[in-house]
Amino acid sequence: MIAIVYKLIPHLLSWFCIVLVLLRCFSVRRSVIMIAGISGFICGVADSAVLFRFFSASTSYAVIKSALGASFFLFWTIAVVAVYRSGERSTTVSSRARWFDSSFSAGVISAFIAIVSGAICACRIPVVDSGALTYAVPVLAAISLAYASLCIEKRISVSFKAAPLGAFAAVVALLLFSSSSLPRLDLFSPLSMKVMKGVHDFVHQFMESILIPDHLFVKPIVWKYIGLLFGKEVGFWGGIIIWFTPVLLIALAIGSARLPSVAHIRQGAQRRKLLAAAIREQRLQLVIPFFSIVIFAGAAYQSSFPSVEYWDPTPVAVTANQAGEIFIPKTGEINLEDGKLHKYLFKQGTREARFFILLGPDGQLTVDLDACAICKPDGYGQADGAVLCYYCKTLIPLETVGKPGGCNPVPISFIEKGDGVAIDGITLINSWVSTVQATTRVTEGGK
Amino acid sequence: MLFRILKNSFLKRPKAVFLIFLSITMGAAVATAFLGIAGEVSHKMALELRSYGANILIEPSAAEGGGFLREEDLPKIKTVFWKYNITGFAPYLFGIAEFSSGGKRERGVVSGTWFAKQLEVPGEDVSTQGVKGIAPWWEVQGRWPEDADEAIIGAALAKRLNVASGGEVTALVKGRRQLFRIVGIVTTGGYEEEQLFAPLVTVQTLLLQTGKVSRVQVSALTVPMDDFGKKDPSTMSKDEYEKWYCTAYVTSVAKNVEEVMAGSRAKPVWQIASAEGALLNKLNSVMLLLTVLALGASATSVSTSLMASMAERSKEIALMKAVGADRFQISSIFIGETLIISVVGGIVGYFIGDQLAEVISRTVFNSTIASPLWLFPTAIISAFVVAIAGSIAPLRRALLVEPVKVLKG
Amino acid sequence: MAASIIETTGLTRSYGDICALKPLDLLVPEGEWLSVMGHSGSGKSTFMNLVGGLDRPTSGSLQVGGENLLALSEDGLARFRREFVGIIFQQHHLVPYLTAVENVMMAQYFHSVPDEAEARFALERVGLGHRLKNRPGELSGGEQQRVCIARAIINSPKLLLGDEPTGNLDHKSTIMVMELLKELRAEENFTVIMVTHNQEVAAWGDRTIYLDDGILVREERLVKTDEG
Repeated sequence: MIAIVYKLIPHLLSWFCIVLVLLRCFSVRRSVIMIAGISGFICGVADSAVLFRFFSASTSYAVIKSALGASFFLFWTIAVVAVYRSGERSTTVSSRARWFDSSFSAGVISAFIAIVSGAICACRIPVVDSGALTYAVPVLAAISLAYASLCIEKRISVSFKAAPLGAFAAVVALLLFSSSSLPRLDLFSPLSMKVMKGVHDFVHQFMESILIPDHLFVKPIVWKYIGLLFGKEVGFWGGIIIWFTPVLLIALAIGSARLPSVAHIRQGAQRRKLLAAAIREQRLQLVIPFFSIVIFAGAAYQSSFPSVEYWDPTPVAVTANQAGEIFIPKTGEINLEDGKLHKYLFKQGTREARFFILLGPDGQLTVDLDACAICKPDGYGQADGAVLCYYCKTLIPLETVGKPGGCNPVPISFIEKGDGVAIDGITLINSWVSTVQATTRVTEGGK
Repeated sequence: MLFRILKNSFLKRPKAVFLIFLSITMGAAVATAFLGIAGEVSHKMALELRSYGANILIEPSAAEGGGFLREEDLPKIKTVFWKYNITGFAPYLFGIAEFSSGGKRERGVVSGTWFAKQLEVPGEDVSTQGVKGIAPWWEVQGRWPEDADEAIIGAALAKRLNVASGGEVTALVKGRRQLFRIVGIVTTGGYEEEQLFAPLVTVQTLLLQTGKVSRVQVSALTVPMDDFGKKDPSTMSKDEYEKWYCTAYVTSVAKNVEEVMAGSRAKPVWQIASAEGALLNKLNSVMLLLTVLALGASATSVSTSLMASMAERSKEIALMKAVGADRFQISSIFIGETLIISVVGGIVGYFIGDQLAEVISRTVFNSTIASPLWLFPTAIISAFVVAIAGSIAPLRRALLVEPVKVLKG
Repeated sequence: MAASIIETTGLTRSYGDICALKPLDLLVPEGEWLSVMGHSGSGKSTFMNLVGGLDRPTSGSLQVGGENLLALSEDGLARFRREFVGIIFQQHHLVPYLTAVENVMMAQYFHSVPDEAEARFALERVGLGHRLKNRPGELSGGEQQRVCIARAIINSPKLLLGDEPTGNLDHKSTIMVMELLKELRAEENFTVIMVTHNQEVAAWGDRTIYLDDGILVREERLVKTDEG
């Protein structure tokens, strides 16, 4: 239970800040925000739980990821529009602004944000063996954090306003920060991958046909620059540009917003005083976008350098065919040969077995029980170059995984069939039962 | 406007500004140098003690008096319960020898070992064992020995014998001679620099100790020691003992290895290194103390020069106050001034400190250091700390200036 | 009669045992030009410092422009000084390393935001359009005092205080400065309080009070002649 709370810390922290920003943004509608936010969060957790129960993990992740992607896209659009409009001087309250001020819109917006936030949070909770109680932990934490945030918000000086633009930037930044610690929800890495692919394709498709190596006008130096486009870095830097541009645009929009017209005031001192007040307010408004830049940077950092915390996949449920054989394809939803540990859960009647498949450094696949012959079956995670036993925290070198003995996971015989791995269900269950029965003499209580 | 005020005030008082700049630069340079060396020393120590280095030492147990371990026991190390956690090991056989090379004669230690030996153990995969694997921090100029009469020589011994890579050294032990071709010079930063390393078989023949080794260094992947690991296994409950046994503490691995080597005692290296570590820790504390003192001295000197310039600027401050500057505005002007100086001072101090660290480590510690990246922010931050600490008292004084009294005269 | 801009009752200021200002009751109507005369040490500068928010009274009440100066914090007094008061000193007191226009802009900066065009215009108004980029050391005493005037009026104060502004000037410059002040007052309608021991300078005002040893001893209202 404590482990779950620990894992949830970044998500709950993001949630706390999101509530804070929302409350300050719609400061006249605190109760609406609180109700919509908390119910949205609960809704999000429930949605996520339902998704993972009834659909495959990849579908569930895809749903949440597309919600995140959509908000990032919306953020881009709003940022561009904001910069485009920043030169205008708004004289009358537009219908848009009036809609934005209504309590209905405040509720809808915060409910949507809370749903996404809750869904991300719930992704951290392992699907198997998690009852309603496990889901209650984040929900209760989120409710108390929302109240804490309400108390703190009331104490922050009134002069510190959150303009809708800045608040939106902060909320998107916090959502992405929250999701970046989950490799399967992370947006930054796939983004840089896409950029790299796109650039490479572009260079291939167009440049090749236009620029012949010994072309008259293409000097070697130009080729050097084109070569840069092929580097590994191009994806990272391209990703960084796409990642940070909208929030910078928003900062620019706020920074370049026209100051109030003071030309009609004849007295210099009075004119300057008005200007100074406007500039002060503008600077205060820039605080939130700058805070968001830091959060965005944190998210990108977390995504490019995932915390050394072990790779801890949730077991995927598998079934056997009529011949009693479990077949797991090498590619598809999960790529078995990516060097990561992939956990599976096999149920047969009342008995179940956990096992994992891993491509060793020698290029050989290995199938092992998620338990060793000695320790309690708490399972394994993957750290840098080693596999870690959760129970005794012993590091097992990757190259020895698949060999029996010691604290190593118990290997299972399997047949590599062209495009997949076939395991005999009965053998699996039997070896699990014999291993676990030998080791689970003490009742569960440690975890 | 703030920028204009700062620019002009700098240009007006170059001497005072330079003095403050100098103090901050010195502080940052000293902090960079000392912290760099301290960090490097800890880094080197950590490198030796880290889990991938040798962390278990097997020696003959005193009780059996033989003084040697048997080479034939070595392959058993790869068959113990924790075999997968043992990433490598290397045996050593030591003897005192009279070395001579080109007319120079010196006494030294001749050490036989495995460099990278293919070890075949029935029922296990072939593995490569030896010094090369367990001591990755050894820097060999040249190459590792391959033939029986090839050797690498420690840097200090090589200096005494005035021998370079490619030279020859004759070892004389009790009338027996052995000619070694030197193929590399090894720098380890430790006592190994006083030794000559040759293949185990050759040294065994030279010392007439066939099939014997004096000690074995074992490198194992272990779990950091915690309170549970330090507990005496005999006082544990059944569950606890099971967990202890199944946890790769360095002590449990050592116990495991000891069981298969006849007449041996396995000690975790941290016990041996702790004396050395304590010394290094003391050295580090001295460095830190010196850094704090140096920073304190710079801050004092910044404070003094600022105080002096404050006295001459009190009129200006009084005037600003009279015109209507509040405390925040006054502070931003003076803090802004020192911060600008400290940014420049920090950058300059970093470069000076970097050079200083190199000079110190070359002359005092006789080793080179690689300047880590974190020193740069350290330099800037220490410059900031000096600047802020040095400005507190002068700023307080500036804020206490009473325009009425100052402007009267 | 216009409302009073300064209202003091029982205003006292003592430094230790020395009482610089004995209880003083005074009303200054808005727009008046008040001259304060007395020997040195008579408490006239103390009075000016109290009114300008540079010093705090020991006891009594002091209302300037509707603000109770005793209730203001230190930063509140600073705000009062920059928004409400313009001060001209005898020794000019300009920042030596800033040019004339920058000295004026500094006052703007502390008040709100600097505006160079406006600062230039203010200097042109006091007849220094040709010496904008000169530092105080390169200006004559009269010119420096005119920079001070430009700086004092740049934030449109309600109250202009002069502490012997012509004390270091020759006769010609004195006349010039006084003429300038009169012109500016006609345009901006500020109240002037001018401390001086020069009878001739005092005569430019609407009313003169005489202080001696911290006590108001005499008050004299000048009959306005059109030519000053």
